[in-house]
Amino acid sequence: MPRNGKLVRITLALAAAALLGALAVTSAGAAGKRSAGTLNGAGSSLVAPAVAQWGTMYTADTINYSALGSGAGIKAISARTVDFGASDAPLTKSQGQGCHGCVQIPWALTATIPVVNIPGVADHQLKLTGTVLANIYLGNITKWNDPAIKAINKGLNLPDMNITVIHRSDGSGDTYVFTNYLSKVNKAWKSKVGCATTVSWPTGVGGNKNAGVAALVKTNSGSIGYVSDFYAIQNHIAKPRLKNAAGSFVLPKISSIESAAQLVKGEKIPANNKISLTNPPKSKKYKNAWPMATFTYVLVPVQTPKAAQLKAFITFALSPAAQSAIKKLVFAPMPGVVIKAAKKTLATIHS
Amino acid sequence: MSTLDATAETARRPFAGRRVHLGDVLLQLVAGAAALYTLVLLGLIVYKVVQGARLSMSTFGLGFVTSVGWDPVHNAMGAGSFLFGTAITAIGALLLATPLAMGVALFLTELAPRAIRGPVTALVETLAAIPSVVIGLWGIIVLGPFLRDHVMPALHSTLGFIPLFGPYSTGSSVFTAIVVLTIMILPIISSISRELFLGVPGELKEAALGLGTTRWEMVRGVMFPYARGGVAAAMILGLGRAVGEAIAVTQVIGAGTHITWNLFNTGDTLASKIAESYQGYETNLEGSSLFYLAVILLVFSLAVNLVAQMIVRRVDRRQGRAA
Repeated sequence: MPRNGKLVRITLALAAAALLGALAVTSAGAAGKRSAGTLNGAGSSLVAPAVAQWGTMYTADTINYSALGSGAGIKAISARTVDFGASDAPLTKSQGQGCHGCVQIPWALTATIPVVNIPGVADHQLKLTGTVLANIYLGNITKWNDPAIKAINKGLNLPDMNITVIHRSDGSGDTYVFTNYLSKVNKAWKSKVGCATTVSWPTGVGGNKNAGVAALVKTNSGSIGYVSDFYAIQNHIAKPRLKNAAGSFVLPKISSIESAAQLVKGEKIPANNKISLTNPPKSKKYKNAWPMATFTYVLVPVQTPKAAQLKAFITFALSPAAQSAIKKLVFAPMPGVVIKAAKKTLATIHS
Repeated sequence: MSTLDATAETARRPFAGRRVHLGDVLLQLVAGAAALYTLVLLGLIVYKVVQGARLSMSTFGLGFVTSVGWDPVHNAMGAGSFLFGTAITAIGALLLATPLAMGVALFLTELAPRAIRGPVTALVETLAAIPSVVIGLWGIIVLGPFLRDHVMPALHSTLGFIPLFGPYSTGSSVFTAIVVLTIMILPIISSISRELFLGVPGELKEAALGLGTTRWEMVRGVMFPYARGGVAAAMILGLGRAVGEAIAVTQVIGAGTHITWNLFNTGDTLASKIAESYQGYETNLEGSSLFYLAVILLVFSLAVNLVAQMIVRRVDRRQGRAA
């Protein structure tokens, strides 16, 4: 029975491969776990370039960071398979409970931005408002030459072309910031879709992670997506200007992110450090503020055997040198009050 | 026949009437433990997955299986669209891959010059060794844009009256997923079919040719009927692979919960939904619902596997009788 022999052989080979794979994964997990002189972290892909930069500057310990996404970072630290997690969205109530005594410390400040690929429209040329953005993502505006877009883009030659809406297919901190902003500026969005790291998109095509969305926008003309600023620059995709509550069309830049972060001076920082920077209010003070700025957080257990090492590394990350070293990756230095609050929380960590 | 069976039976019975060797006992223990281990592992996996799904099962009940949508913000989730996506991608891939695989297998057994049979066989089987994440990456960067620029427009303009080939927008679509899955299951079906065709007795083929049939008539009249059952089993193995594939599909299918007949729309399969969401879910209910999807996928895959085994057994029995 030659064919049966073949079947059996294929099955056996597959089974052996699966077993070896499983062994490799478990042993890699065990080997990569907590050896002296290293700190292991996982989570947000948004903050990954910054952590990589810090890793090259920090000498006391080796920093291993896996950019698995915010949700995965929360799960990893909840299960204590890493020394620290990182998330762009602040922990929800149930996530906070699930993490059994974790604190979240803001450690970097950056922005989520819309990106477009329209023939004949260059970087910084297109202007968008929150309402238009919401209507595009709700599927109400389907053409680039829609009157609502033309009205705010006088003089720009917009093609008669379908809009291809692109969003994240995985759970993402960028999706949280994006939907948080749209919920604040558009009632229909708030009631129909809402704000979370995963939402039920009314329309559009999903891309996996920041890189997937960037690739889809880049290869599909007529498309619009949203990514972390760093990925837009890396992939050379056109950024539109976005109208903030104060009425000016702003670009995502260090200065406009810093301007949005002034919001924390007016607001008291809660004990859990949960601060939202989206859609700063209509005021002269926020004339230049980018409406989708966000803090990103490091998650650490309050009690951990690596308390001293973690404290040293996070203190370094909060230092002026570390904060300004990531400016080139479009992270703005965090305001002094936030650094102060972060250090206060950091002090509670013990072994 | 019966004496043969009896000898086989004695040979299989462990150590009857023989001195017990330590090595034999060890072998018995190790092999037994290995067999038990797979059973225990399967049991534990099923237990864990069902346990994870409990919250979602008690919240949504059986209605989850057919209800459509995935809205964690409003706690409304269902598997309907993912089941649809799984079925349409797997069946689509099978429909494309089977004739191709038959062609490859026939070429390699009957038509190709002897010198190139070996290398080409090796190449086709290498296709099975490409990691799915690599195929997925190629799917995003090369295949997706190619289908969008060349294949989708052609199909839409010529066969657009069929709802399957509706309007298209990007390279991420159910159709792209079908093509990627076709590439992945082709080597499975073709290599098994090749073995089956090689197993067709030469006398039968020669007899047919001797009766004056053309090569195609011989293939149709002798080889296909002889290999039919085995090919069905090969198809079901391919189907199982297509149903369970996650990463490559996630990369090219584009996500979404709409149910439409337009293959150029985006969608999701059970496996791709789990792969794209399990790392980033926010609420316990969403996490549990992903486990519920896994339960459905598990049941589906086990069923496919059982059917394949049944077919193989039935064919063996039939051919055993014929021979």
